[in-house]
Amino acid sequence: MRWIGEVLVSPGEGGVYNERMLGGARVWDPFRSKLSALYHAGTGIELVKDMRVLYLGAANGTTVSHVADYTESVYAVEFAPRPMQDLLEVARRRENIVPIMADATRPEQYAPLVEAVDLLYQDVAQPDQAAIAIRNSVFLKKGGHLILMLKTRSVDVRKEPAEVFRDTLDLLSAAGLTVQESVWLEPYHHDHAAIVCRKP
Amino acid sequence: MPGYWFGDVEAGSCTPFSGDARDIAGRIRTIRTSMDSFVPLNWELAVSCGFCHDRAEYLKKLREVCFFAAERDVREQYAGKDTELLHMVRTLDEMDTVINLLSERVMEWYQIRQPTFSRKYRRTPSHLMVRKIREKSRGALGNVAGQIESLSIARTDLAKEVSSRANRVLPNTSALIGGLVAARLMAQAGGLSQLSRLPASAIQVLGAKTALFAHIRTHTPSPKHGIIFQHRRVHNAPRTIRGRVSRVLAGKLAIAARLDQYRGVADLGFLERAQAKIDAAGMEEKP
Repeated sequence: MRWIGEVLVSPGEGGVYNERMLGGARVWDPFRSKLSALYHAGTGIELVKDMRVLYLGAANGTTVSHVADYTESVYAVEFAPRPMQDLLEVARRRENIVPIMADATRPEQYAPLVEAVDLLYQDVAQPDQAAIAIRNSVFLKKGGHLILMLKTRSVDVRKEPAEVFRDTLDLLSAAGLTVQESVWLEPYHHDHAAIVCRKP
Repeated sequence: MPGYWFGDVEAGSCTPFSGDARDIAGRIRTIRTSMDSFVPLNWELAVSCGFCHDRAEYLKKLREVCFFAAERDVREQYAGKDTELLHMVRTLDEMDTVINLLSERVMEWYQIRQPTFSRKYRRTPSHLMVRKIREKSRGALGNVAGQIESLSIARTDLAKEVSSRANRVLPNTSALIGGLVAARLMAQAGGLSQLSRLPASAIQVLGAKTALFAHIRTHTPSPKHGIIFQHRRVHNAPRTIRGRVSRVLAGKLAIAARLDQYRGVADLGFLERAQAKIDAAGMEEKP
């Protein structure tokens, strides 16, 4: 991964969302992207050239475009039609993005399309985020990693974020995933935590 | 045995799908995958299957299929006739806000130019005031007033279109409370399918969010009506029975919305019976 001083950048064609360019590379803003925030927190899984990624909750393709700059291929799953239009536009210009319009809670819908991946990245605003991650972990290779961006407020607004965080960690471990790291994304994103797991 | 996008794999041998991206995208929908003991596909299988030669071709073909499927699905999602109506209603409401704001502003401005002018003891509706300002003012003020007038014309046309579109998309609901109000209810609910899933009690207070939550939190009196107040049978009813009228009306609207969602054509028998029930609720004495 490329850092220019304190700034995280990704190599690739710019102008996707009017991002700043620095030294010919695209600036990856931690305030806009939770994955960038995770790397700014000093942890996370290093993205490398031969990696295959399954990305759940691709939205408008902003973070997806940066992930695609670093990896071999990205399967980008998004459910809503409006952001899908933007994602398709991004994918047209980046030939290693495979856009899939499907519901991440129902992996059987896209199972015939997705191969085994090295990294599962999930950023969805759903109440059952742990269950979705566990259900999708079948796509992970042995030793592959899961990065779960936990939106605690989407799980239950009445519960304390810390409590939701603990419950999620328990669920993931109970499902046989090894939790490697877990950090809050303050000050970039409030009430959001990143959980990194490994599939043994 | 597992079916993948490029073909069926059975006991080590593989039958590739033939056909273009459209055929494959259609076929993916029919593949039923069981997630217990599921094994994700290995792209090299597609090569041994004779479907493609290398990784680049594999990704290229897969992308073609996925683009086709995604574009088809986006189109299908928007094809529901209610999506455009939703934007039309919201545009209409926003135009109202803008026209009112600008009219007020222009009148304040005009008063500065004409120190002797006052609106007191005049019964001039605001659109006539705007016309007068346009005729009597030069420069930017007259120009802006003219723009407000053309916005108002566009607004009237849009309102007509909303109402005729609603008659088509929401035939039963529109027959009960008129196209414009029916369309507003649908827009507030977030779409026809959402409206059809609401209970009558929610439809009754749709659009009275502030009053409803004040009621839940601080026990102020509960709201009797939201958007449906705009219908004449509710706002013309005497205060004492307005609650009853709006309750009965909302009950029939809930049924009408479901008819619109799942049948899509007007049910004359239902409409006649519903109208009779609502009329009866509007009688002074309990029927």
